[in-house]
Amino acid sequence: MGALDRLSQLGNQISGGTAAGGRAKLLEKNPDDIVVTAALRTAITKGGKGGFKDTFAADLMAGALKGIIERSGINPALVEDIVVGTVLAPGGGATEMRAASLVAGFPDSTAVRTLNRQCSSGLQACVDIANQIRCGMIEVGIGAGVESMSTQYGPGAVSEFSELLESHPEAANCKVSMGLLSEKMAKDRGITRTSQDAFAAASFRKAAEAQAAGLFKEEILPLKVKFEDLKSGETKEIVVDRDDGVRPGVTAESLGKIRAAFAKDGSIHAGNASQVSDGAAAVLLMKRSTAEKLGQTIIGKYVTASIVGVPPLLMGMGPWKAIPKVFELAGINKDDVDIFEINEAFASQCLWCATELGLDQNKINPKGGAIAFGHPLGCTGARQVSTLLYELKRRGEKVGVTSMCIGTGMGMAAVWVAE
Amino acid sequence: MASMLEFRTPGYNPYAVKYSPYYDSRLAVAASANYGIVGNGRLFVLGLGPAGIQVEKAFDTNDALYDLAWSEINENQLVVACGDGSLKLFDLATGDFPIMNFNEHNREAFSVCWNPIAKDSFLSSSWDGTIKIWSPSRPESLKTLPVGCCTYSAAFSPTNPSIISCVSSDSHMRIFDLRTPVTAKYHLAYTIPVHAPPQGPTLPLLSTGQTFAGAVPAEILTHDWNKYRDTVVATAGVDRTIRTFDMRNPAGGPTAVMLGHEYAVRRLAWSPHASDVLASASYDMTVRVWSDGSSGGAPPPMGPAGPNTIPVGTQLGVMNRHSEFATGVDWCLFGTGGWLASAGWDQRVLVWDAHTLLRG
Repeated sequence: MGALDRLSQLGNQISGGTAAGGRAKLLEKNPDDIVVTAALRTAITKGGKGGFKDTFAADLMAGALKGIIERSGINPALVEDIVVGTVLAPGGGATEMRAASLVAGFPDSTAVRTLNRQCSSGLQACVDIANQIRCGMIEVGIGAGVESMSTQYGPGAVSEFSELLESHPEAANCKVSMGLLSEKMAKDRGITRTSQDAFAAASFRKAAEAQAAGLFKEEILPLKVKFEDLKSGETKEIVVDRDDGVRPGVTAESLGKIRAAFAKDGSIHAGNASQVSDGAAAVLLMKRSTAEKLGQTIIGKYVTASIVGVPPLLMGMGPWKAIPKVFELAGINKDDVDIFEINEAFASQCLWCATELGLDQNKINPKGGAIAFGHPLGCTGARQVSTLLYELKRRGEKVGVTSMCIGTGMGMAAVWVAE
Repeated sequence: MASMLEFRTPGYNPYAVKYSPYYDSRLAVAASANYGIVGNGRLFVLGLGPAGIQVEKAFDTNDALYDLAWSEINENQLVVACGDGSLKLFDLATGDFPIMNFNEHNREAFSVCWNPIAKDSFLSSSWDGTIKIWSPSRPESLKTLPVGCCTYSAAFSPTNPSIISCVSSDSHMRIFDLRTPVTAKYHLAYTIPVHAPPQGPTLPLLSTGQTFAGAVPAEILTHDWNKYRDTVVATAGVDRTIRTFDMRNPAGGPTAVMLGHEYAVRRLAWSPHASDVLASASYDMTVRVWSDGSSGGAPPPMGPAGPNTIPVGTQLGVMNRHSEFATGVDWCLFGTGGWLASAGWDQRVLVWDAHTLLRG
């Protein structure tokens, strides 16, 4: 039959071809692609003392959503659904986030919901919106994430475990604190304090350099908020437009002097774990055909995502299992990826996952990560999208992966393409 | 390497070679003009004698030939898979034309396999995404099994006439059991993602110490049932890796992997003489002979390992005398065991003894 068909089939068998996937397939542009036309975040500030310490989560979200309307120029009435990932809010934050969308300028016809998949909530929100678009449920949506750890982080975050849960050993492990279990994992897997401190110092250095060069300005939406000066006691309005957790001059040696936080002979401390922070991020998603019809500028494409479970006590391994799975779904391998944004919950687990998967260190978190500028739980997954897409564009590269470990033992990863 | 017998197929590039199950001196080669891309096909039936390899008979077809199978009930008959989607049954005693034509596939037919147990049926697979089961005496197919994507290779189990396996471009192996009731799944018993790691809480290690995290989906071009262990099937294709699977544990991932080919593997054949030995022909122009390590004779390089370890098979030898893609390989059923015929796009059929390759 068709000689050309036969020729291209043979060609694909020899080259490894595009029939089953591969990078070339990923870079194709099709009308039913799910594309990103705006991605931004607020600054991320230190919990309890940073610029957003007196700002409620919903206010951060309202700011970010308003920013999305302004930057993309989208008619807010066209946005059919907004999903906000948020972890600590009582009642899931459902009421406040709906209110925040109205404040931001969305009409009452725009639906809003919140979700909580712990540290991947922001990514899950984007994935949920993308899936709703893909299956035709909505045309345009926003995946977002927010956390005000200043106002909502505390002992009330996990409710009491029942006797039933306590009686099941693996179930009871779900409430072991992240610090303790990561300490144990670091010890069991032989991740040394020195290597963790070196990784953390690199995160600080990369973030400080990026900040000094003003590279975060593209993704950060400045927000005017009220701030109470603890010394003078006066409340004033300030504009928050930079990550205040980034500290220049941090070295592996200076981190080496900090005392371990979770065990006397431990290796994890405040300097090589993610910071407690406040922040919000949002991503505007739609089909490529819709974006072209509306004249939206396409900055990237969502490809696919994976979700996996791992033992609760080894939750830090999440990316190690989620990344190979997302490769399989996308039909690519690690060499096809230009940048990995892997959340730095702890230097120990991020480093272990990267080493075990054999990832090139230069491809991981090129602008620093949660160790340097913080990990506002629900926000991080959506924050990584803007960090990734802007950095890919800056370097003229294409394919990125965002991934994170998830408390109670899960991992999530997603593949994105910058355009 | 010691001497080997050679036959040339001028103007035709072989796609498959098969020994006759009746005579130790007869083999057949399915070949195509212009590498099977456009043009005629020719089926060569060859005889091995004191004067080397001679043509006993040749049949010409209007389109390329991609595979052939000897009949299990008539020593003179064989069926070919043709580029126009047809299957043709030829008889060595009857003229130059096929005695039967089977025209149902809508695209290129890529494989044929005679039922070795029931002997009264054969099957074919095609780029049209179906497997068809045929009787040699009826022009219409007995049954059609949908696969849904280009199916490069399909086969009957050598021990059970009702079990059919196939591999396809979607990186999966499918197992059909004709004894199951006809449902929406058309006898599909299970599907094995060939590229995937085993299902389980932790990823296994290869016996070389690497983590085995699975691979990217890739087209599977060939597979073969082990002739001794009736639940073991080997697969290979574009990702260059040969894997074995145990049908008793379809979710268990590969039971062994064999690494070494530098381009896609086009044809696999288990030895009829040893339960752990198989041969592979590849676009890297080599034919390799492997042990999957199951016999215990050749322990994997890193020694025995835990339950979560996948053994890496041992390469017993490389035959590198082809100067173009090696596309066909088959074992002679007779004699001391170890005689192989291989065919390649260098328009050559080589007959050689695997023992001359073995190390030590």
